Amino acid sequence: MSAIIELQNVYKIYQMGDEALHALDGISLTIEEGEFIAIVGQSGSGKSTCMNIIGCLDVPTSGKYLLDGVDVSTMNSNQLADIRGRKLGFIFQQYNLIPKLNVQENVELPLLYAGYDKQTRRAAASEALKRVGVLEKRKNLPSQLSGGQQQRVSIARALAGNPSVILADEPTGALDSKTGAEVLKFLKELNEEGRTVVLITHDNSIAKQAKRIIKLADGCITYDGPSNGENAVVESEVQA
Amino acid sequence: MNFYQSFLLALKSLSTGKVRAFLTMLGIIVGVGAVIIIVSLGQGLQNEMNSAISGLGTDLLTVNVTGRGSSRQVSENDFYEFAEENKEILRGVSPTANVSATVKFETEELSSSLTGVNEQYCDIKNLTVAQGRGIQYVDCYSRMNVCVVGSYLAKEILGSRPIGQKLNINGFHYEVIGVLDEQADSSEGSSDDMVLVPYTCATKLSGGRLMTSYTLAAKSADVAEQVETKLEQMLYRVFQSENAYFIMNMASMMTEVNNLMDNMVLFLVAIAAISLLVGGIGIMNIMLVSVTERTREIGIRKSVGAKERDILSQFIIEAGTTSGVGGVIGIVFGVICSGLIGKLVGFTAVATLGSIMLAFGVSVGIGILFGFLPARKAAKLNPIDALRYD
Repeated sequence: MSAIIELQNVYKIYQMGDEALHALDGISLTIEEGEFIAIVGQSGSGKSTCMNIIGCLDVPTSGKYLLDGVDVSTMNSNQLADIRGRKLGFIFQQYNLIPKLNVQENVELPLLYAGYDKQTRRAAASEALKRVGVLEKRKNLPSQLSGGQQQRVSIARALAGNPSVILADEPTGALDSKTGAEVLKFLKELNEEGRTVVLITHDNSIAKQAKRIIKLADGCITYDGPSNGENAVVESEVQA
Repeated sequence: MNFYQSFLLALKSLSTGKVRAFLTMLGIIVGVGAVIIIVSLGQGLQNEMNSAISGLGTDLLTVNVTGRGSSRQVSENDFYEFAEENKEILRGVSPTANVSATVKFETEELSSSLTGVNEQYCDIKNLTVAQGRGIQYVDCYSRMNVCVVGSYLAKEILGSRPIGQKLNINGFHYEVIGVLDEQADSSEGSSDDMVLVPYTCATKLSGGRLMTSYTLAAKSADVAEQVETKLEQMLYRVFQSENAYFIMNMASMMTEVNNLMDNMVLFLVAIAAISLLVGGIGIMNIMLVSVTERTREIGIRKSVGAKERDILSQFIIEAGTTSGVGGVIGIVFGVICSGLIGKLVGFTAVATLGSIMLAFGVSVGIGILFGFLPARKAAKLNPIDALRYD
């Protein structure tokens, strides 16, 4: 196993008028390939910022971020976009499907920007849709699908580009517990296949599904250990 | 994201919001339509005028001599000499003495345009004699009271056997010796409504005035300019003044008319182009709204790997497609309208392929130009903020 995500003393500082807000206050973190990790924390703890940086949507103010051995902390927006398209798959709370495009087109989107030809895109998208069980809906618009189905489509989209890391930002937040459990089951399956899954959540019971939990508070890591560890549960429950 | 997909996507979003799309395109439709109408009608009018001028003969020059007292004069002989000297570029010369004439035949009376000419006139003007003969040298030399009439007069008052009939012109008896071929439609006031007499007689008919007008035919329209220069030299030598004569060169007149028309059309197009500008601003406005509305979509696209230029090209293509479709509608609208207006005014509007292509190109160009700013705004959006946008 090798480190796929490596944050070295990462700071993210937002200047709010005269005050400097340390959203991330010197985080160092290593995630090995094939891990299933949950980043938890209250709102304002810095977990969204952490996710943005891991997801290459943002760059740290200082510190180093190595993704798959490549330093992405100094890349420009176009290079970051390229990395996002090739190495990362996003699953969002709000599904974030483009309403005007049908299911198939939505799933093809990462492949389109990565520059694959039509046949390859079609094949990969169909494969991913089959995998999550919504292939028969591929000509439908997102609005014609239930929430659970939409989230499956967004999982298919995250899968289509065959990324090394799947980032799930509150993937069950908008779903009822039954469909939420289904989505988690998919994430587990993906992890069992060897993909690195990073789950961001504030929900303790969901975080426990991961193998390892990283807890953030005020931009610092307060817990980093297995999900069955003592502190992981206690603190979360106190907060909840 | 390739061009074709962006284009299809743009067409799709146009078709989903038809009213909005139409209103967005309206400025372009009106602008392109107006440009097409103006250019087509201008071209039609120009063609009409050109054919009218070439009908008069583009190789023809007419000289009006106003004279400068009695000491300096040119006679027809000076012109014949001039023609002889320049025969390599001149086809012929004839005095053209225009006299207003009252023509009577039996009980009928009408006024017609009468011209005193020599034997070369029919050649110069490319007139053909349908019946009888034309004016000949001997007619001029011996001042014969003979005339050649246009087909209008022949049909209207002379009947089936015009040759040999006697006409009373301004009180003198003239024998009809020939009838010209029909040139226009043999109606009153057309070029068929004319009488030709020997120029030597025209002086008498006009009450003794001197010959003051001549028509010269160049070998071709190309040397008309050359003839004009030589003629000018000759006349200036005689009169020592440029005010004593006036030369009209049909070829250069046509050029001038064309220049004038071109300028006029250009001017009107420039005015119509203002609405294209307004149309472009309309597109920019809607595109800015669209970028705001689709902030989240942009965020999603960026999160799955869209680069700045992907987003930029998507929105530019969308703007270009909108204005291009507007341009096509405007062209169709313009062609139909100019056709109808042309029919109404009575000449053929000519929508040239060039003007259509130009109009289309300009409209697409305007879309791209005015789409650039909104597209850049979209491309520069921060993916995090865009994803969070509601």
